[in-house]
Amino acid sequence: MPRYAMVIDQSRCIGCMACVVSCKRENDVPPEHYRTRVLEMVQGSFPDLTTEMRSELCNHCDNAPCVNICPTGASHHEEDGTVQIDRDKCVGCKACITSCPYNARHINEEHGYADKCSFCQQRLAEGKKPACVATCVGGSRIFGDLDDPQSEISIILRKNSHRVLNKAIGTGPNVYYINQYPKRA
Amino acid sequence: MAFSRRNFLKYAAMSAGGAVLADTPFISAEARAQAEGGNVKYVPTSCEMCFWKCGAVAKVVDGKVVKLEGNPYHPQSRGKLCARGQAGIGQLYDEDRLKHPMILDGPRGEGKYRKASWDEALTLVAKKMQAIANKYGPESLAMMSHGSPGDYFTNVLKAMGSRNIAFPSFAQCKGIRDVAWELTFGHKPGTSCERVDLENSRVIVLFGTHLGENMHNSQNQEFAEAVGRGAKIICVDPRYSTAASKSSFWLPIKPGTDTALLLTWINIVISEGLYDKEYVEKYTVGFDEVKEAVKEYTPEWAAQETELPMSQIVESVRELCRYAPNVVVHPGRHYSWYGNDTQRARAVAILNALLGTWGRKGGMWLPAKAKFASFNDGAPAYPPASKPSLIKGDFPFAGGEGVTQVLRDATITGNPYPIKAWLVAGTNLMKSLPDQRLTRKAIDSLEFFVAIDLFPTETVMLADVILPECTYLERHDGLFKISTREAGVAIRQPAVEPMYDTKPAWWIGSELCKKLGLDEYAAKDNWEGRMRRQAKAWGIDYDQLAKHTGYVTIPDSEKPYITEDNQPVFGTFSEKIELYSDELEGEGFDPVPKYEPIEHPGKDMFRLIYGRSPVHTFSRTVNTQWLWELEKENEVWLNKKEADRLGIKNGQYVVLENQDGVRCNKVKTKVTERIRHDCVYMIHGFGHNAPRLKRANQSGADDQQLITKYIEDPITGGTGMRVNFVKIIKEA
Amino acid sequence: MELSITGTNALTYPVMHVWDWRVAIYLFLGGLSGGLMTMSAINYLRPGRKGPLQSVCCWQIPVLAPILLTIGLIFLGLDLERKLHGYLFYTTFKPLSPMSWGAWIVLIIFPVMILYALAALPDEVKGGMKKGFIKNMADAMAPHLAFLAKLNIVFGVLLSIYTGILLSTFVARPLWNTAILPLLFLASGMSTGAAVMIIVAKSKEVKLFFTKLDIWLILGELLILALMFYGHYTGDAAHQAAIMPFFDSSHGHFPYFLSIVVVGIALPLAIVLKFLEVTGKHTEEVTGFGLFLMNSSAILVLIGGAIVRFALVYAGQLSGYGYTMM
Repeated sequence: MPRYAMVIDQSRCIGCMACVVSCKRENDVPPEHYRTRVLEMVQGSFPDLTTEMRSELCNHCDNAPCVNICPTGASHHEEDGTVQIDRDKCVGCKACITSCPYNARHINEEHGYADKCSFCQQRLAEGKKPACVATCVGGSRIFGDLDDPQSEISIILRKNSHRVLNKAIGTGPNVYYINQYPKRA
Repeated sequence: MAFSRRNFLKYAAMSAGGAVLADTPFISAEARAQAEGGNVKYVPTSCEMCFWKCGAVAKVVDGKVVKLEGNPYHPQSRGKLCARGQAGIGQLYDEDRLKHPMILDGPRGEGKYRKASWDEALTLVAKKMQAIANKYGPESLAMMSHGSPGDYFTNVLKAMGSRNIAFPSFAQCKGIRDVAWELTFGHKPGTSCERVDLENSRVIVLFGTHLGENMHNSQNQEFAEAVGRGAKIICVDPRYSTAASKSSFWLPIKPGTDTALLLTWINIVISEGLYDKEYVEKYTVGFDEVKEAVKEYTPEWAAQETELPMSQIVESVRELCRYAPNVVVHPGRHYSWYGNDTQRARAVAILNALLGTWGRKGGMWLPAKAKFASFNDGAPAYPPASKPSLIKGDFPFAGGEGVTQVLRDATITGNPYPIKAWLVAGTNLMKSLPDQRLTRKAIDSLEFFVAIDLFPTETVMLADVILPECTYLERHDGLFKISTREAGVAIRQPAVEPMYDTKPAWWIGSELCKKLGLDEYAAKDNWEGRMRRQAKAWGIDYDQLAKHTGYVTIPDSEKPYITEDNQPVFGTFSEKIELYSDELEGEGFDPVPKYEPIEHPGKDMFRLIYGRSPVHTFSRTVNTQWLWELEKENEVWLNKKEADRLGIKNGQYVVLENQDGVRCNKVKTKVTERIRHDCVYMIHGFGHNAPRLKRANQSGADDQQLITKYIEDPITGGTGMRVNFVKIIKEA
Repeated sequence: MELSITGTNALTYPVMHVWDWRVAIYLFLGGLSGGLMTMSAINYLRPGRKGPLQSVCCWQIPVLAPILLTIGLIFLGLDLERKLHGYLFYTTFKPLSPMSWGAWIVLIIFPVMILYALAALPDEVKGGMKKGFIKNMADAMAPHLAFLAKLNIVFGVLLSIYTGILLSTFVARPLWNTAILPLLFLASGMSTGAAVMIIVAKSKEVKLFFTKLDIWLILGELLILALMFYGHYTGDAAHQAAIMPFFDSSHGHFPYFLSIVVVGIALPLAIVLKFLEVTGKHTEEVTGFGLFLMNSSAILVLIGGAIVRFALVYAGQLSGYGYTMM
């Protein structure tokens, strides 16, 4: 059984938003709703500036507050480690949305269920990478199986210092970030 | 849901055994569709959300396009599409599209139209064009265009005897650069794309080129690759762009002084002996003249002129030279900045030549080598021009794409001969030409104006007859020659049938030919038939293109780097790189670029500079659902200190007023450290004045509205548009 | 820091506003009905109480408790995005989910409350009732009133605490994520329960008893509130930021600032009023001014309790490990 995770090479993100739109199309996300986003954070004062580009999505946490809080079992872990939502079981209580430290969830207002990034579960089933990864122009998003020591993602995590967002909260995220700032040798 | 849990688990079990998730989702579009079964169809085609012509694959389910993906075989997309490419479905299903032919029913500009049949509309267009040609001569018919529809109407005009055809992509964009490089190297710096070998570059220099925001797919893929590898980026831009944020050197140059920096760099490169001596010796002419001419441009002087620290000027170019020739000074793209732009482009070309980047790994690859048999489907040669075309104006080096504003001027003045009808296809002239007042005046003085487009833009809604083209997802277009490192051929074919009463441009052009009695120039059968014959003439398997890969490579066409048996061919008179240009000298221009200072804004005025958003293509996509959602309006970037001084807060709406008293829509202020104090920046393409574009109308401000002043580059006719100064008026 | 984000959801950006007044009302009414269960039971069981157990004085309180809880749950139900899926709460039990606990606890609490309410019905009320199931049940339960009252003390406390437990489990919302929050809601629930007792009770003696009791409850509530702020203040950056809205009078945070000011005035003022009343001389009858003092202080307590819920529900959603903290 694979254990899926994503690595985001922040230095390669050029903020083109291809991921944001491809996600919306792939997953039929309603207007004005998003499963992934891109942050651009600029610090300093002219002309001494530095920028962090960071795309964010559901972290598919090992210790997921959303799964813990869900009163009906709609939010659950799959065997591949991903956090998924069984829409039929969702009552729309929104506790999961409030519980997510990463603000990764929203309500599908048309149908009322909670929604979020699924790592494109439907594409994984067809052997394809998530839509955002497949179209990431900068090659910033890398997806793969942590249980396979030879997978690209495992190699990258071995070779690079990496971090997860809000590690101290202890949610055990499965989206890893490398190269917070571009290399400027 | 599109998949069953059982399948998922089956797959999961499989991948536990070491299966790898595929980057390349298909081998053959047809085979992929068969594998998935049901009502799924995959159609390889070419994107037209911008003009990079990426290969796209449309997934069609039950006759609806549900997803667009990048074609992995196509070198412009490499399996990926940008935000706009992904959002192409939004253009296809945009309810604001032009849906049927329309004929003006009232005064021009009031937007009152009546629905017409194609037959009625085309008959009217043919009648009017014929009448004007009869009365004033065929040369009084002019055409402006952008993108693929141009070919079909160029055909109509040429068949009628007019050569007054111009593309704003020349004088309002990259023509200037192309001319300068042709003068220097005898080649444009690229056709399908700039021939920059970014993925192998050690140092990349960008003059205003805002990769990341200027979202050309494969080039950005390579740029990110270079950044990821740790290549050094030297970014010369008054604004801290996305590219600047990736750079080792950000040179926040005083706008309009780029040539000063370039000539100083050339001086340093030569005086410090950092140039590629062997290369310069072997491939160039005019080195000594250049050496002599740039002596006056010292770092001390440049520091003063450009307002950059001298150390930064010197260190950055030394760093560049350290890695030469595996470096590139990007030729740029949109070049109509200050009215002396050919010489800036020449300086860039000369610097590249001195560093020996042309034909070097990490520099600029050599043009792909391929010959295509000429093919015109048996159409007869065009009749000679009724009168010499005006499109080159008084500009000795204007290119064949033409100087758009010359046609506009002639339309207004009637000199040297009257222009009485315009055919405008696929370009929103009100947004692409400087000084909208003149564009409007020209349109008002026309006897007939026909527009062919997808959307009811401000320009289209001034036309007498509007002919609705279908989108790229609904039509065939010519087979495209794609010239990247290799040569190749790509296809555009419909994923779905045209919606509403819209038609492909080829059909409109062809029918127009028939109505004009020019049947021999009309399509023989249909465009697909023509494309098949074209493929045959080129020795390409059409079915391979149409059913399977959407793109085919021309074998042995990729010879990117100079080797002993792969020597560069320069198309100049001397057959060498002309550092010193006899051609320019012959027309009375500086044979080696000279720095010409330009006017700078006075107190409380800011130079208006503009650029692009990664999620929009000019003004074409603001109305597209998913792109509009991401960026509904533009912002005006204002330096933090200036904002504090003027008492303007971040997010506050302001109005800009230019030196001629012209004001724009209200626009949100982005108060930022990311821009110099003497200029303001906004993204081009917003502020539509087109009520039928329900989302885009009046959202954001239109930079073009404020560009009432422009300075024509005397060499090419390019319109320098970054010469407008604005003051900021706080909204009441 | 210049931050720009592309691809945000209105529900969570620029600030989270997932839960609104409906949830605040639910938490307030839930806490209040817990308070009513406990306080009314204390009234029956307290030493020195005179007269028969069933009494006309406060029989309405046990009846009121399930009604208020029902209203609260209706508001909670109104907040569900898929109201028709509500039954799904009862198709599973999730031990890690306080919401699942809450759903099941309600099923136990309602019988406890209702049987208690029936047992507490005095003969004067039952006399006017038609014979039937309710009257039979009331008659059957009457002998067990003392036991049911004890049970209601326990469950009332649990219910009040529960309303705070739900929020306190959200690690993502630092303002809520403190074990002191359930205690705050307990104190507040009990205090508001006492306030309603004061208003509803007819007997001067009962009113005075709860007025005295409430002084301690309010003091407890204020102390816990202060400790909560202190705990956050000494916590990490996210916890510190979480209480900031209450101490920031600028435009965006003014409602929170105001809520602290109002609570800071209302509750101490209630204490003062109660103190005046308790220390004053009393006749057997409730005099007009005394009644006014007791009732107005009770109303201040209810206002304070409601504001605490509203302010915490909203401010808690402002708190978080913001985009720039990650």
